Amino acid sequence: MFKKVVLQKGVNLYIRKTEQFKTITMSFKWIAELDDKQAAHRAVLSNVLQDSNADFPKQSELRKALDELYGTVFYMDAGKRSNTHIVSLNMECVNDEYLSTGGVFDEALKMIQSVLFKPNFKNGSFDEAIVNREKHTVIERIRSIYDDKARYAHKRMFDLMRPNNPASVSSNGTEEEVQSITSATLLDTYENMLNNDAIDIYIVGDIDEKELTAKIKSMFDFPAREFSRKPLEVESVKVKEVRKVFEKQDMKQGKLQVGYSTPVSFFHPDYPKMQVTNGILGGFAHSKLFMNVREKESMAYTVNSAYAAYYGVVYVMAGIDAELEEKAVKLIGEQLDALKNGNVDDMELDQTVALLSNSIRSAFDSARGQIEVYDQYKYLDEDFTADKLIAEWKAVSIEDIKKMASQINLEIIYLLSGREA
Amino acid sequence: MEKIVFDTLQETLFHDRLDNGLNVFILPKRGFSKTYVTFTTKYGSIDRTFIPRGKNDFVTVPDGIAHFLEHKMFDKKEGDVFQKFGMLGASANAFTSFTRTSYLFSTTENLYENTKVLLDFVQEPYFTKEKVDKEKGIIAQEITMYDDNPDWRNYFGTIESLYKEHPVRIDIAGTVETIEEITAEHLYECYETFYHPSNMAVFVIGAVDPDEMMTFIKKDQDGKEFSEPEEVSRDFPEEPLEAFKKKTVLEMDVQRPKFNYGMKCNRTNLTGDEMLVQDLSIHLVLDILFGRTSEFYTQAYKDHLIDETYNYDFTQEKGFGFAMVESDTENPSALEAAIRKTIQSQAGNWTVTEADLNRARKRRIGQFMRSLNSIEFISNQFMQYNFNDMNLFDVVPTLEKLTIDDLKDAFTTISDEASHTVMEIIPGGKEG
Repeated sequence: MFKKVVLQKGVNLYIRKTEQFKTITMSFKWIAELDDKQAAHRAVLSNVLQDSNADFPKQSELRKALDELYGTVFYMDAGKRSNTHIVSLNMECVNDEYLSTGGVFDEALKMIQSVLFKPNFKNGSFDEAIVNREKHTVIERIRSIYDDKARYAHKRMFDLMRPNNPASVSSNGTEEEVQSITSATLLDTYENMLNNDAIDIYIVGDIDEKELTAKIKSMFDFPAREFSRKPLEVESVKVKEVRKVFEKQDMKQGKLQVGYSTPVSFFHPDYPKMQVTNGILGGFAHSKLFMNVREKESMAYTVNSAYAAYYGVVYVMAGIDAELEEKAVKLIGEQLDALKNGNVDDMELDQTVALLSNSIRSAFDSARGQIEVYDQYKYLDEDFTADKLIAEWKAVSIEDIKKMASQINLEIIYLLSGREA
Repeated sequence: MEKIVFDTLQETLFHDRLDNGLNVFILPKRGFSKTYVTFTTKYGSIDRTFIPRGKNDFVTVPDGIAHFLEHKMFDKKEGDVFQKFGMLGASANAFTSFTRTSYLFSTTENLYENTKVLLDFVQEPYFTKEKVDKEKGIIAQEITMYDDNPDWRNYFGTIESLYKEHPVRIDIAGTVETIEEITAEHLYECYETFYHPSNMAVFVIGAVDPDEMMTFIKKDQDGKEFSEPEEVSRDFPEEPLEAFKKKTVLEMDVQRPKFNYGMKCNRTNLTGDEMLVQDLSIHLVLDILFGRTSEFYTQAYKDHLIDETYNYDFTQEKGFGFAMVESDTENPSALEAAIRKTIQSQAGNWTVTEADLNRARKRRIGQFMRSLNSIEFISNQFMQYNFNDMNLFDVVPTLEKLTIDDLKDAFTTISDEASHTVMEIIPGGKEG
């Protein structure tokens, strides 16, 4: 679906020409190994680069220039996948075809050049005042998780299940690591990122492939680099005893997280089968968890399961009355047991495959969706298409579901609830 | 069927009003594999006092009923409607707002079968005492979930403090107490009154053949029996100009205070083009005064008064309207002072220039073009506009003709500090 051009060793351009959208969407991605220090530095660096540069030394000037380019969207973010940390520069501008004045796309590309190659340096390094402000911002971002109870419960479960592991490393690093950043260490991170990270550049829109490739080559002359990716080994966890951890805050509803380990990870050949299994368990509004915990027992408004494939973790999340924790855990266990016993009918299987197919095809109806889905699956297959994956889902049998469910092992029950309960 | 072409946007909209009064809109989008279909009634949480169909006197129903009704529509004698959509490969959902209830699905296959399921389940009510009582547990959990959400409390608390009488101040889902009062009879009464086709609209967007789809919907509707169209009589209390409360502080288990500055709009009787001009003008004024290029933003961000959660917006519908400026902050009182200063500076001495207007205008035009990539956005926004007699596709031409005077005039409808309120969520005093 994307046309790949190797610009340099370790630097790839992926282009998709389409008339579907009224805009041109670009995403530059820098990929490095994930740890707390890297994550903290790269999160702050994203913010600092996004703030200003030598051509636009004040944020308000940069933002005014973007407004003049018909509200061109520009932001940078820090994310993670498996054992890698990813810094993305994202830009989206209206295709010149729809505007009375042209040249917006070229100006947007120039803006990316400024952001990347002309940082807002003071005395040869990043401006200390800006660095400090953005450190502060990233620390607030890290702290804000506490205020969102569902996200906090989710994070706590991963901290408890997989400490000192990429699974529980935040893409923003830790508060301590952010505190320790200086202009000098940030400069190292910046140079490292430009010179040593793997780089993927995505462009989607109604563009001329040849002309664009030439433009990108000349405007973004990244040197060749070595980046060896070792896939994260998912260790098989031997669960001796299921852990129960209950924590309290001032809140009304209980947030239940039930964590399971599985040896079937993203790179495992059974990965598509596990996706379907998770879908039947709790991915959708027809799934076992929704039908039985919510509709039949009226115990929850939200109850669903998710599959963190890179980390070999399946988990169930539910918002419940904390006093009903035992009953909820029992019910959730029963739904998984039903899968293990093959107590799944063809209709449930067909619905799940249909909705998985719908969700991936729908994701392709946005430029960002096309980029993000392909960027993930290209590691399994450079010629990835939605249809190929859908064909794999369609081949899944109830026998497969039984096998997959039997490889989902209960590891932890975590409940965050109010102090009175 | 009328065909409306928007040349510069390269979009074509098809529309027809059927014999039973139902409005049908179809917008084909090239290159899309998904189709998104919504079936919407002009009925939301604010419609609590009305004359039921076939009656003569006003009634007031329990709070949260429009949302409750939305939940119960999915539950049929033969089972859950999600199952039917699932079998046909569609992802279904629904939402209730202040003024609308919308049922929807998106699909990449079986478009007509799914459309049939949507039309049928919304047009065949089935409520029993047993099913109504059972739903109360689920909705009570939904309400409790929102109660624990500080951002929601901050947003809704602001509306509660701005409005003294208007039902926009009542939480869309109601409360655990008010939903207890809801009966199957209530649901039928609301359904009969507000779910008549003449009070509703279907919007189909994405991969669709307009002629075929229009014929399909028409045939379906012609095969069903409906009573005569009848205008619904709603009653709304008189709302004073002043804000109900000047300030509200709520303690919750958060690490960092949340702040919201609310401004009640005092011109809420507009519809159509006038409403669109006011809506876009206020958005532009807010962009200029509070956007990322503004002096306010630059200074407040530098002073740590605002962070990445910072946001501002304006919402208006017939009968109510409010602007908000909000952020997590370590210093709510300093942020409040900075916002007030910004508003006061313009009330005394208007400094917005032609250059400001042009830049803000360009930005909004680009943002609008970008949002046309999203079929969900078009569909939801189109319906909101349509129910207020505005046309979504007039946004760009209207933006192009706005003048400084339009902005100045629109700003006077939100700038009176007597109509403003302050909301703060602060870290709780309990042992932590």
